[in-house]
Amino acid sequence: MTQKRSRHIDLFKMRKGFMLKPLAVGIAGIMSSGCADDRQDAQIYTSVDDCKRDYPDAVEKCEAAYQTALDEAARTSPRFSTESDCEYEFGANQCREMNSGSGSFFMPFMAGYMVSQLLSPRPYYSQPIYTSYSPYSPFRSRWITADGYVFDGDIRKRNYKVSPSVYKPKPTVTRTVNRGGFGSSVRAKSSWGSSSRSGGWGG
Amino acid sequence: MLRIPIKQRLDWQQQAAEYGFQFHTMYGEPYWDESAYYQFSLQQIENDIEDPTAELHQMCLQAVEKIHADEQWLQKFRIPEQHWDLIYHSWRDEEPSLYSRLDLVYDGKSTAKLLENNADTPTSLYESGFWQWLWLEQQVDRGNLPRHADQFNSVQEKLVNRFSEIAAYYQINQMHFACCQDTDEDRGTVQYLQDCAEAAGIRSDFIFIEDIGLGDTGVFTDLKDNPITDCFKLYPWEFMLREAFGDALSEAGTHWIEPPWKALLSNKALLPLLWQMFPDHPNLLPSWFAEDTPALSTGKWIKKPLFSREGANISLIDNGKQTDLSDGPYGEEGFIVQAYQALPQFAENYTLIGSWLIDDMPAGISVREDSSMITQDLSRYLPHIIA
Repeated sequence: MTQKRSRHIDLFKMRKGFMLKPLAVGIAGIMSSGCADDRQDAQIYTSVDDCKRDYPDAVEKCEAAYQTALDEAARTSPRFSTESDCEYEFGANQCREMNSGSGSFFMPFMAGYMVSQLLSPRPYYSQPIYTSYSPYSPFRSRWITADGYVFDGDIRKRNYKVSPSVYKPKPTVTRTVNRGGFGSSVRAKSSWGSSSRSGGWGG
Repeated sequence: MLRIPIKQRLDWQQQAAEYGFQFHTMYGEPYWDESAYYQFSLQQIENDIEDPTAELHQMCLQAVEKIHADEQWLQKFRIPEQHWDLIYHSWRDEEPSLYSRLDLVYDGKSTAKLLENNADTPTSLYESGFWQWLWLEQQVDRGNLPRHADQFNSVQEKLVNRFSEIAAYYQINQMHFACCQDTDEDRGTVQYLQDCAEAAGIRSDFIFIEDIGLGDTGVFTDLKDNPITDCFKLYPWEFMLREAFGDALSEAGTHWIEPPWKALLSNKALLPLLWQMFPDHPNLLPSWFAEDTPALSTGKWIKKPLFSREGANISLIDNGKQTDLSDGPYGEEGFIVQAYQALPQFAENYTLIGSWLIDDMPAGISVREDSSMITQDLSRYLPHIIA
C-alpha cells in the first residue's frame, strides 16, 4: 500500500536548540551542503596559530580572517536571554554576557573560524564556528554555524568542502536609500478595533 | 470520518519547546489540541479530498488564464492597474508557486465544497507538515494508535522537493525569507519554510517585511544592504501592491514566492469567476459578485470582502435579511456572496478541512475546529489519521 505521509523526517535537524532569532542573520557566505560542483576546500581553525601553521606566508590574512569571524560572531551569534539557557545549549562556562541598546543577553564563545580561499586573489571567506560541551545538546562535539547549520562529523574533523553562496552574481547596491516601504497595511489594520489578534497575516 | 478522543502525550509541551513549536497556545487559548483526532478512510481521503483538490487547482489555473484574456476581470478583482503587467509577466514566465491551501467543507459523506483558496499566505503549515506527523509516529510507537494508521501528509517531503526545483529554476542557492514583526505564528511558519529550504540546499536569510529597504540601484535590500533577489514573503500581495514600495516592484526584479500571479487566486473574486466558468461543478458553491447577485431575497448566503483574513467582516444574508457574523477592517474593495454551506459538527464543534497543495500536487490536510460557525485564527488544530 502506498503511504500517504512523508516517509522520513530528520528529527535531529528539526530540533531548535537555538531560539528563533528575530535578527537578520546571515553570515559571510559559505554554505556547506548543496550539490554544486564548484565546492571549495575550507578549514576550521581553533586559533590564529593553527591557521598560521598552515599558511606561514599569509600570517596577516589569518589574523584578518580571525578578526572578520570575531566581528561576525558579535553580530550574528545565537542569543539567549538567560545564562542558563545558553549554558544548557553550549555547556558550563561557555557563554558570555553582552550588552546592547535594548538590554543584556548571553552568547556562546566562538569555538573556531572557518576559512576558505585564503590565498585566492578573490575575497576569502571567513565565518565563526561554534560547538557545544553540553550533554543536553544535539550539537555536542559537532561544528555548527551561527544560524544552526550542523556540519557532518565531530569536532576532530577540520576539513570540509563548501560551495560559495553566490551562484549568480547579485546586483550591486551601494546604499539603501529608503526603508519601511512595506508593512504599512499591517499597522493600519491591526490598529483597528480592540481585537486580541495583534498580528498574523497568514490565512 | 470520525472524531475520536485519545490520550495526550504527557511530554508534548516539553517536545514543543525542544522543536521550537512556540505558538501551540495563543492568546491564552489552546491552539494545538491532541485530546482527540479525526479518522478518515483511505477512500474518503483519495476520492473526496485529494482528487477534488487537484481538480480545483487546475480550474483555478484556468481562471488565471481567463483573467489575463479579458481585463474587465482585473478590474473586478480590484488589481491596481499599474500592476497588471507585473502580474501578467509573472504568469507568462511561469514563475513557480510553492504552496496553497484550499478550505473545504466536508463531512465524510457529502461532496467537498470549496469555501476559499488561501493561495498567497496560508499558515498552519508547520502544524500540518511536521507536528501532526510527529504526533502520529509517536502515538503509533507508544501503542495508542494501530500500526497501520497513516496520515494524508507528505507536506514536508514535497516542500523540500519543491524548494529544490525552485532553486534550479532560478539558479540560486540563497533566498531571503520575510514576515511581519510581532507575530510568533508567522515567524514560526517562516522558520519552518527556512528549514525546508535549507534541507534542499538553499541558504536562508531572514528579514522582517518592515525592514526591507530600497537600494540606490532600484533593488530591494536587507539590513546589511545586500540585495534581495529571491524572497519568500508571508505577506499578502494585495497589501504589497498598494504600499509605498509597490511602485518599486517591477523595477526591483525580485523573484517572489508566492509569485505575483497568486494575487489572483487568493482574491475572493475568484469564487464568482469559478462559478461562472464551471457552473454547477460539484465542488463549488454558487457565488456572485455582491453587485450583480441575482436573487439575494431568498435562501441563505454568506457575504465576504474581496480581501480579508482570518474570517473577518463576514455577514449572513438569510432571506434578504443581513446579519453581521464578524467585524473587522476589510471591505472597502467590495464583496462577494457565496451560497451558505453549514460546516459539519463533531462533538459540538464546527469542523473545517484545509487541503494543502505543494505547487500543483495535493499534499495533505489540516483539520481545524471552532465553537463558532466561522473559522478564525483562534480555532483549534486537531491531528488526523487514515485507518
